[in-house]
Amino acid sequence: MSVASDDLTKPVPPKRRLALKPHLIQDKIFYGIARSAAVGAVLIVALILGYLLFMSWDTLAQQGPAFVFGSQWSAADPENLVFQIGPMLWGSLLIAVNGMLLAVPMAIAAAYFIEFLANSKIAKIATMVVDLLAAIPSIVIGLWGVGVFTPVAAHWAKLLNENLGFIPFFNNTSGSFVNSPFIAGWVVAVMIVPIITSVTREIFSQLDRDVINAATALGASRSSTFMKVILPTSSGGIVGGALLGLGRALGETVAIFFVLNLSFEINWVEVVESRGGSIASMIVSFFGAASPEEVKALIAAGLVLFVITLLINWLAAVIVAKAQPWRK
Amino acid sequence: MTTSPIETAALPRPEKSPWQIKNPKQTRALILASVAPAIVVLAITFGFQIDGTIAMLTMFLPLQVLSAGAVGFRIYGKKGIADAGLVIFTIFFSSLVGVLLMSVLYSVITEGFKALSPQFISQNNVYITPTTSLEYGGVGHAVLGTFIIVGITTAVTVPLGIALAVYLTETTSKTKGAVRTLVQAMSGLPSVVAGLFVYAALITSGFSKYAGWLGSLALIPLMLPTVTRVAEEALRLVPVELRNGALALGAPAYRSFLSVTLPAAKSGIITAVLLGIARIIGETAPLLLTVNYANSTVLNPLESMAALPTYIYQNLDSANDTSLQRAWGAALVILIFVAIIFSAARMATRSASVKKKPKKVAKND
Repeated sequence: MSVASDDLTKPVPPKRRLALKPHLIQDKIFYGIARSAAVGAVLIVALILGYLLFMSWDTLAQQGPAFVFGSQWSAADPENLVFQIGPMLWGSLLIAVNGMLLAVPMAIAAAYFIEFLANSKIAKIATMVVDLLAAIPSIVIGLWGVGVFTPVAAHWAKLLNENLGFIPFFNNTSGSFVNSPFIAGWVVAVMIVPIITSVTREIFSQLDRDVINAATALGASRSSTFMKVILPTSSGGIVGGALLGLGRALGETVAIFFVLNLSFEINWVEVVESRGGSIASMIVSFFGAASPEEVKALIAAGLVLFVITLLINWLAAVIVAKAQPWRK
Repeated sequence: MTTSPIETAALPRPEKSPWQIKNPKQTRALILASVAPAIVVLAITFGFQIDGTIAMLTMFLPLQVLSAGAVGFRIYGKKGIADAGLVIFTIFFSSLVGVLLMSVLYSVITEGFKALSPQFISQNNVYITPTTSLEYGGVGHAVLGTFIIVGITTAVTVPLGIALAVYLTETTSKTKGAVRTLVQAMSGLPSVVAGLFVYAALITSGFSKYAGWLGSLALIPLMLPTVTRVAEEALRLVPVELRNGALALGAPAYRSFLSVTLPAAKSGIITAVLLGIARIIGETAPLLLTVNYANSTVLNPLESMAALPTYIYQNLDSANDTSLQRAWGAALVILIFVAIIFSAARMATRSASVKKKPKKVAKND
């Protein structure tokens, strides 16, 4: 008891200050550098977005909603400038969707093959090759598209037209099968397949093997394990990877530039017809001879493309974050 | 009730585990199912001169699915049918992927080697027209230009990206989430728009003419997200106990980072730099808009320079057999660079994982 009373009589020691903020000058510099890098990154994005908005304001205000939906582009008469990117925007989307329809099944199949069917040696090599190919510059794919793939794909397009021509998609009145959205779609697919495969394979490899083994032990077959266990648990990640590929497909420029015939006559669904559109390719083919007003219109087109890819990326981030809550 | 060891030993040990036993009949059926459709369809295709693609899609695939389904049904019963479908689907699409990607690699390598020669690597493009024979001219100027342009971008982006990764992992700032989202948004910037931005802001405004450093500028927002993301991942993998240990020993935060966290994450940071370089080394559109192309060897980044991707573009654009050959050669050179970067990145991560192993053992003891 006496000990306790002793304790009570002692004065309360002053509260110690917890050093929550850096007080050393070096630490302040260290955190200052990190913080200024963050500010720098924010500034870069703000600068790009702000400048694009500022430059394209004139065009957007002058052309109105027709800028996105109309299909005419003439800078010849300075009194009556008409800039409308409807066919290019639609063409970009058409090619991207075309590429996704081809790339996603291929990528899922390849990832499933690498992760669950192939033996470990083949899987290791295939993983390496896929990761390497994901880094191949798109102009190399474009070169392959021009030099090697176009005749093959034109042949496929012709077969589709001859045998399934009654479906509006495969309608072709010009008789020319090269430089079509179909070929551009294939080229884009070849470009993004390694990207989607690499993401999907990564997600398959992170799956809990115990759950798969449990399904097998309960008598599930290969296909029911795939449909009921593997796909549902990894679908979010796969969608994220696919949207990542979609973003790349929409922004693809030079590969499409060489395998597509740009045309301001809108091509709704006739993918094997020899005309199409792509905003990114349009920018590259027009900027050289463009007047200042036309450059502004091109910037507005680029802004539209950027906003679309931003939306897609944001969607991908949300979906992946929801599917993989452990990755904060 | 204890069984004597002699009795246990007397039990015959099965040669194979039950799941390893294979019924030879089943094996035979499987082989038949995977070979027969191919032979039948090949025979029909050559016999009747049918187009290969049509034969593949209308005869081979259905036949293969049917035969695999039949065998699956025989061996596993009903659930075997769906399994067969899945396996055929997977193998068909995987081989399609394999054929397409191998076709890319194969054509770049074979076509590229036709153009490759010592003078192709060393000479530049002066006095070279699209029809000049391959004995003259090459990509020397473009290789140097790519080195300079990518080098400037790397010199700016890597410190920025690592500092950004430090901000995202080492600080407790509340705006971290927003900054991360913004950096990820930057990765959605189409490369042509980055080029157009620099073109409009600095070239059409009359501030500068086409120049190498403008290309570097346009590449920064393309490289930054990759470097930041991978470096952040690498820093995050360093156990928090290491940092806390250093702090508990009295080290200030910057010392703890520089002498504990950074060395531990070294390989990941190197990978981040290499992946960033791989991301931008083949970017064409931004360089077209900001650097244009030069035929002579230009080492001054204030002038218009040559670069490998624009060299390919230039030769592809003139659409002539010889120039196409040159484009393939330049594509092979880029491919070799990318392969070198990748194997360097792999080596960096491998040496790190070898080092990590003994540490783990020591911890378990």
